[in-house]
Amino acid sequence: MKIALAVAQRLAGFALVFLGVTFVIYWSVFSLPGDPIQALAGDRQLPDSVVAALTEAYMLDEPVGVQYLHFLSGLVHGDLGVDLSGRAIAPQLASRWPVTITLALTAWTIQVVLGLSIGIVSALRHGKTIDRVLLVTTIGASCIPVFVLAIMGQLLFGVRLGWFPVAGTSAGWPLSYILPSLVIAVFGLASVSRLVRSSIIENLGAEYVRTARAKGVGERRVIGLHVMRNSLIPTATYLATDLGFLLGGTVVIEGIFNLPGVGNLLFQAIRTHEAAMVAAISTALIVIFLVTTLLVDVLHTLLDPRIRRG
Amino acid sequence: MRKPRNRLGAGLGAVVVGVIALAGCSSADEEEATPTTEAAQEPVRFAVETPDHLIPGNHFASYNIVEALWAPLVQLDENGDVSFLAAESVESDDAVTWTVTLRDGWTFHNGDPVTAQDYVDTWNYAAYAPNAWVNAGQLANIVGYDETSPLEGEPTAETLSGLTVVDDLTFTVELENPDRQYPLQLTIGQTALYPLPSEAFDDLEAFEADPIGNGPFKASSSWTPDAPLETVAYEDYAGPEPTVDAITFVPYIDTTVAYTDALAGEVDIVGIAAAQAQQARTDFPDHLYELDAPGVDFLGFNIEDPRFSDIRVRQAISMAIDREAINDAVFGGSQIPATSLTSPSMPGDPAGICGEYCEFDPEAAKALLDEAGGFEGTMEILFVANWGQEDLFEAIANQIRQNLGIEDVVPTPAADWAAFTDQVMSGDVNGPFRARWGALYPSQQNTLQAVYTAEGEGNFGAGGYSEPEVDALIAEANAAETAEASYEGYTAVQERILEDFPTIPLFGNRYLYVTSERIAGLHTVSGAPDLTQIQLAS
Repeated sequence: MKIALAVAQRLAGFALVFLGVTFVIYWSVFSLPGDPIQALAGDRQLPDSVVAALTEAYMLDEPVGVQYLHFLSGLVHGDLGVDLSGRAIAPQLASRWPVTITLALTAWTIQVVLGLSIGIVSALRHGKTIDRVLLVTTIGASCIPVFVLAIMGQLLFGVRLGWFPVAGTSAGWPLSYILPSLVIAVFGLASVSRLVRSSIIENLGAEYVRTARAKGVGERRVIGLHVMRNSLIPTATYLATDLGFLLGGTVVIEGIFNLPGVGNLLFQAIRTHEAAMVAAISTALIVIFLVTTLLVDVLHTLLDPRIRRG
Repeated sequence: MRKPRNRLGAGLGAVVVGVIALAGCSSADEEEATPTTEAAQEPVRFAVETPDHLIPGNHFASYNIVEALWAPLVQLDENGDVSFLAAESVESDDAVTWTVTLRDGWTFHNGDPVTAQDYVDTWNYAAYAPNAWVNAGQLANIVGYDETSPLEGEPTAETLSGLTVVDDLTFTVELENPDRQYPLQLTIGQTALYPLPSEAFDDLEAFEADPIGNGPFKASSSWTPDAPLETVAYEDYAGPEPTVDAITFVPYIDTTVAYTDALAGEVDIVGIAAAQAQQARTDFPDHLYELDAPGVDFLGFNIEDPRFSDIRVRQAISMAIDREAINDAVFGGSQIPATSLTSPSMPGDPAGICGEYCEFDPEAAKALLDEAGGFEGTMEILFVANWGQEDLFEAIANQIRQNLGIEDVVPTPAADWAAFTDQVMSGDVNGPFRARWGALYPSQQNTLQAVYTAEGEGNFGAGGYSEPEVDALIAEANAAETAEASYEGYTAVQERILEDFPTIPLFGNRYLYVTSERIAGLHTVSGAPDLTQIQLAS
């Protein structure tokens, strides 16, 4: 019951956060200087009659409040509107979400598998050479800027070795997604493995572990059940929030790897001042983020009885 | 063997080269993997900017695709003279009323014959303001455009009164002013003049998904902006048969990615920025094409700004810029230092007409500036951020600073195109600004009329410059009977504009393309690769 109430409260809070954030986004794109219609044409000035027709069609001469309300009312009716080249936004997003979600999930899976393995190995061998090597490698890798890593990956595995396509999605999953996912995953790898490592080490020294050992519980069971379960709580929190970040953070990677995902569209939309498009994508990202944080909190109470009682 | 090079700093370069060296042992396999014979010809993969629309009259960024799917009425032969493609002739006695006669036997990709009515219907649709087709300006010189697309208020006519269908293969065009250059306006770059089949107007969105043109290639897959578009040679094409069987247009958000893809041989033809020329010479020693293009780069001014209203100040700035040095340092020598207002590839371009004012002479520049009373305050040079323009304007600012002894010369990036055009159009600039014109057809008329007359589409690049004498000279040149006479006419126009020196000519353009090893030759039409003339390596 308590959980249900908490969830309801959180959902109410969501509505406020949602309205606030979407308005701020709408307003900030709106207040960027310049006329987005003229900018489309670059060095060529559009005929005035064309500018007038387009300005009216996209309500660009209306105040930001009116535009925003129009966006919201469309949203309520499930209509995201059209972009500045007159194409409906919803189907564009629909065709791009699968790319972004596939990319984020692949990256996330790599991060979970590699992060947990590295973390566990370095915790169980902490202080040994292997621990130090893993520490230096993961931190070193996460220090390299994402785009550098991406371009190195493209040149080595794409151009030189030819194992993976340099860019694009034409080779499908998993081939087209491995390289970009690896690049994203490497960035978060250090955090995940460090987190796993330190919480395992902490728990290894905890009193309940000593008690378990004193009771004669086997080492495998001590580690596998007692230590792991408790060490996973902070890791699970991190990984769940991370999934939200990964979805939003694919902008750079999608650009470098020419993946037609949502992040890519967001980048273009900001460049061309497409307020409706930016708001639509951000809205979706906000919802995803809010939902994952909610899930994390629910997950917490399931994993750790102390939170439930407290 | 290809040698990948990265564009990053030297330190990073070492890392990358190290990594690549480790992988070096695999290069032998790569060579073996190259197929020696191909049963069916693989489509040529052509990298394009993500296209916005495939309607020829209503697109900004889809030139390559549209030019593959459609064919223009007029083309130029090897000598640069007018010859005809979809038209059999384009004739006029008075240069005002033009009769366009279509060649018989041309069909759309759906099999329907291309008729005069199709042209007239398409042009009418494009010119009608409420349809808001962005390339409508290409029809602005036809009688009746003021009624279908008035500057203010609602249109009073739905169709252009200057267009008349004579029969299935003939229509007439009445122009506002006599213009002997008209046939040149019907060439490949003016895409709003391509014909659409009548079914297009029932549902333009559906049409765009499965476009039907009259050109050398037809779409063999449905189109969405972010997926590759496959095309194959149209079997009933009435023009000269293209040299390749199929072209796939692969959209890229960022052409630097396409460049890397070309290194890997995954895409065959990639247009690159002039600033990448140096690197491309190393990466693609035998597969870099520098195609003469109809574009010009220049600097514009707000001529209302009292600090720049003295012509000697503008001339001094021009003479303080070492175009050769900048071309070598920034563009790898790929561009052409400007000596006139038009691109050197323009027929009749009066090379050298700018004279001493386009030549680098720091001492004369300094003397001229002193004579004009020097320069006080900060000079900002405005350009667009994140479009690869930083190095160019940094270099220009340095030269003005050093050669003219002006302390505060600041290259100033505007956040994006919207901010930039807004500042330039409203005159909110604090010094020279970036300007460029890419001519849509091979006549000096296009550049001069667009940039240096008040009605021109590129007039904001010249800071709103206009001069009745220039207008009169252009009208005279437009009416000239022969090509030679028109060249003389436009030379007079350039001479007159340069007396006012409203802009600083910088470079005539070459557009750069790199190709995979599958491609043995590219020819150009208007700076872009001629898609019907791609030579494959045998």
